[in-house]
Amino acid sequence: MSEKPVEGKPVESKSTDSSVKPDAKDKTPSKSVETSEEKKLSNKELKELKKKEKAAKRAAQKEANGISPEQQEKLAEQKREKKQQQTTNSNLKKQLIQTVIKDDSKKKVPTLFSHLETREQRNAASPSISHIVHPAILSLALKISSYKIVGSIPRLRSMLEVFKIIIEGYITPSNTTLQRHLTGHLSHQIEYLKSARPLSVSMGNAIRWLKQEISHISLDLSDIEAKQILCEKIDDFIREKIDLSDRVIIETASKHINNGSTILTFGHSQVLENLFKYCALEQDKHFNLIIVDSRPLFEGKTLFNNLIETETSPNVDDLASETSSVSSRGPKSKPITQDHIKIHYVLINSLSSTILEDVDCVFLGAHAMLSNGRLYSRVGTGLIAMMCHARNIPVLTCCESVKFSDKVQLDSVTNNELADPEDLVSNINSKQPPKKKAFALEQFIKQIEHEKKNEEKSPKGKNNVNNKNKSKKDEDDKDKAPLSNWKDIPNLNILNIMYDLTPPEYIKKVITELGGLPPSSVPVILREYRST
Amino acid sequence: MVKELTIEILALVDPVVDKLKRHQLSGDKTIALEISQLLMRVISAARWNSPFELIQIIRQVGKTLNTAQPKEIITGNIVRRVLAIIRDEVEEEDQDKDQTMMNSIFSLLSTQKPDKKIYQQSKKQSSDFRSIIIQGIRDLVDEITNVNEGLENMAVDLIHDNEILLTPTPNSDTVLKFLLKARSKRKFTVLVTENYPNGIEQAHKFVKTLADHKIETVLIPDTTVFAVMSRVGKVIIGSNAVFANGGCLSNSGVSSVVECAKENKTPVFAVAGLFKLSPLYPFNRDDLIEVGDSGKILNYSDFKLVDNVDLVSNPLNDYIPPEHIDIYITNIGGFAPSFIYRIVLDNYKPEDTHLD
Repeated sequence: MSEKPVEGKPVESKSTDSSVKPDAKDKTPSKSVETSEEKKLSNKELKELKKKEKAAKRAAQKEANGISPEQQEKLAEQKREKKQQQTTNSNLKKQLIQTVIKDDSKKKVPTLFSHLETREQRNAASPSISHIVHPAILSLALKISSYKIVGSIPRLRSMLEVFKIIIEGYITPSNTTLQRHLTGHLSHQIEYLKSARPLSVSMGNAIRWLKQEISHISLDLSDIEAKQILCEKIDDFIREKIDLSDRVIIETASKHINNGSTILTFGHSQVLENLFKYCALEQDKHFNLIIVDSRPLFEGKTLFNNLIETETSPNVDDLASETSSVSSRGPKSKPITQDHIKIHYVLINSLSSTILEDVDCVFLGAHAMLSNGRLYSRVGTGLIAMMCHARNIPVLTCCESVKFSDKVQLDSVTNNELADPEDLVSNINSKQPPKKKAFALEQFIKQIEHEKKNEEKSPKGKNNVNNKNKSKKDEDDKDKAPLSNWKDIPNLNILNIMYDLTPPEYIKKVITELGGLPPSSVPVILREYRST
Repeated sequence: MVKELTIEILALVDPVVDKLKRHQLSGDKTIALEISQLLMRVISAARWNSPFELIQIIRQVGKTLNTAQPKEIITGNIVRRVLAIIRDEVEEEDQDKDQTMMNSIFSLLSTQKPDKKIYQQSKKQSSDFRSIIIQGIRDLVDEITNVNEGLENMAVDLIHDNEILLTPTPNSDTVLKFLLKARSKRKFTVLVTENYPNGIEQAHKFVKTLADHKIETVLIPDTTVFAVMSRVGKVIIGSNAVFANGGCLSNSGVSSVVECAKENKTPVFAVAGLFKLSPLYPFNRDDLIEVGDSGKILNYSDFKLVDNVDLVSNPLNDYIPPEHIDIYITNIGGFAPSFIYRIVLDNYKPEDTHLD
């Protein structure tokens, strides 16, 4: 009885066949080969049949809903169009690659680092997509690429602020929902932002978080509500992951700075700057600070300047006494560098002479903590950590948990960021960070100069005397700046990388908002962080 | 006992003292040559009755030069080398005179207080003596001028094909010659640190010269040393002075580079001419390190920073302890740092280690 309807409905017959088979196998092991072949066939057929069945079911449903087959076809077409729209992201990348401006200057990267993306490559495509980019992103990209905004946390904060502006001004296109379309929209903006500098680890983490939040927004909400919720969430993120984290970190770290102790730091880190200010202003500690600085960014000078700009607010008692005695003078406010923090400013080359003075501990900033416990930070950090470790000076690093990355890396060569080598050649004695122009402007200037040169060349060729003078002048120029034309020297390369990797054995403690940890605990934190 | 220098000699010495004080002599080799030329002139101008008087005069000149520039080791080295030449000559004459009566044990007992009357030289003797000493100094000058030749010959033995070298001392002419010589036989890459702020111009010139000689050259900032050290095959450094314990003086920043090399087990070799070896011991590190213009670190015009800074320092040198160097390459061969004291003994007399 049961077999007849099975033959009539092939779908079910196969399924019953397959369900029967294991039994058959058990019973007749000699036939196992045959049965398995049968099974394979049946599986394939099964899938096809199931598809057909599903399609049939859908068609039936739609017909039941009152949609004719023709309408269905239209819908399908619309879907295909949508899919194409969704793939614009990858199309964009293709476009970028195709529109790379073939620069006449050869790629000048040392062979060891030739796998890294150069600034030219990053920038090559940016003009071609700038029309779909929000103006706030354009200005942010410019600030980041010219090192006006530098450092992992400032970059993250400004990026999130800009995202808020974008979300507030976002209007969902008619045939999609915010949850689906906004992520793609943001991806374009991020793609452009990447052309300024590669995203920092913290920015990557924040973007991942934001995309997840967007997808979690319930479909029932109106756009305005959804946008409001997103903006609030971004604000919360900034407050929780940056501001409050920093405060916790500072409170923990300030225990390591005592009255009269000597602290060494390298470059500029936002949380460390706040730490020093906190110790001076709120805890009224007096200490020595050795700022180690390096070319070409001179971030130590930024820290120095920022410390000078923070001034002690005069105490109320002092104020009262002062006003009573010398009424004409206003309240005096001194920069904290005058009486609280004694600053010793050195460049990295004098490290070994400096470190021999009794340094009590070293505070280092972080770009990222990698999951194998290595600290990825501004180039030079590793050298300092190594020297201090060799002299038994404790090395501490302050790092918010947004900077934790699940990547692993073993040396600084495999993954790094290439900066513009021109920064190392031009203005070698300026002692200031390079003043960068926008990439497009630079290219424009280059083009004009090139045209000018061509114009000059044509009349110059006529008389040789002029030529000789020129070549003499060239020689003079060479005496002034031997590397002004370094791009024309085939065997010469200039390497300007941004980061290096400090092994975990040099780091005594990583101070995060979750407390002080050894570097080996980074993966633990990552897991906990992921699970919440 | 200490005689003041006569006016004729002071007239010779003073211009050199001024040049030293003003740092007008740049480069160790120039200083070495200048000093040996000066001593040659002093010896031809000086009057003396016994060789010991001459030794006193030279010591006096050495002291004057040392006070002019106490942190310059090379001047002292050359003075001591010349003193050693004179003493050798005296000993030889000594041996000629009393070959017959002296045996070694007796000489041990008796030469403690040499009878100075023996050394009263006649006029003819003293002019012979003078010409012998001057010939000795000429040989020294030759040695200094040709210092690179001996060094270069070792280059090929130390570098293999496609090796990556790193040099943190781009101001060293010796390193440059060494690399150029090695290029004739080997193909390699050189990483050169910038040496900011004191040697950056020289570094750029150095890099350009290397690249013009078809050596793959990469200029790196001083900070990048740690990042690339794992890829470096050998570190090659130039030195300003080598001490008897095997330590040496080099540019500021080199100390951290060699420490980094040690951490990565990368071999470090130092190149130095024989004239850079000094019989002194580096007892106090601070005495050795010269401090330069702090305006190179913070612009004086940057008054806001200058006003608020407690200390800015710009050391010009670094002391490198012997354990951070694997071998020294000199024009007479390669030596371990622990062996340097022997070479020093060969070239200097222990009596002259302290000129005071």
